[in-house]
Amino acid sequence: MSLDLAAADRAIARGRVLTLLALAGVVAVYVLALQFTPPERLQGLAQKIFYLHVPAAWSGLMAFVLVGITSALFLWLKEPRLDAFAEASAEVGLMFSVIMLTTGPIWGKPIWGTWWTWDARLTFTLFEFLLFCGYFALRSAVREREERAKFSAVVGIMGMLLVPFIHLTVYLFNTTHPQPVVARVDGPALPGVMLRTFLISLGTFTLLYLGFVMQRYGIAIRTAHQEALDA
Amino acid sequence: MPDNGGFMVAAYVVTAVVLGSYAVSLWRRGRS
Repeated sequence: MSLDLAAADRAIARGRVLTLLALAGVVAVYVLALQFTPPERLQGLAQKIFYLHVPAAWSGLMAFVLVGITSALFLWLKEPRLDAFAEASAEVGLMFSVIMLTTGPIWGKPIWGTWWTWDARLTFTLFEFLLFCGYFALRSAVREREERAKFSAVVGIMGMLLVPFIHLTVYLFNTTHPQPVVARVDGPALPGVMLRTFLISLGTFTLLYLGFVMQRYGIAIRTAHQEALDA
Repeated sequence: MPDNGGFMVAAYVVTAVVLGSYAVSLWRRGRS
């Protein structure tokens, strides 16, 4: 049977261990960023929001890419565990998007003088967030399991297709959002101490994604198993 | 240097609250 309850329990237990490790890592990132990383000369202390905003964006968008990949595989293989993983990754991605969409405006107010501007990067990121809110509205509206998985897989693939476009918006449009300062052809434009803090935060948020998604995947498998019994 | 430490604190608090709340939510939902 593909919906193995013992495997779900193992995923939850391992996810919890990873999450605890990652949360300890987040505490270390806070100490490192606030105490041991110097503020940027022009932006001041608000620049330190970068160490949370960008890793949250990375984890959120990575989550949505994995939703798309597993959704496409689900449409091909019809394996319910792929649908469970897509659901898990979408929820974790939404959570990271909340961090991205709140820390961004908190940085924007002192640096741009406004909480929000309808430039391409911000607008498409908000659209991606709303698309995945719709993904869960759809999942809760369709009762039949296979239909729900099929329809939401299509939405998940659409969400994934938006991710590279979001990345390219700063090159395709005249946006106020900053260009990448780390992932650049000519190397990172950050001093070593700032780059170190950023990379540790990026690793920590990636680990946090793994811990959260493993737990959520186990929960999704349990729910699907219960639904199969009730049907 | 501009005096905008309050915004930094707000962003760090919001992130901690969101991550903490979600971790607790998963922990509760994961109890068998």
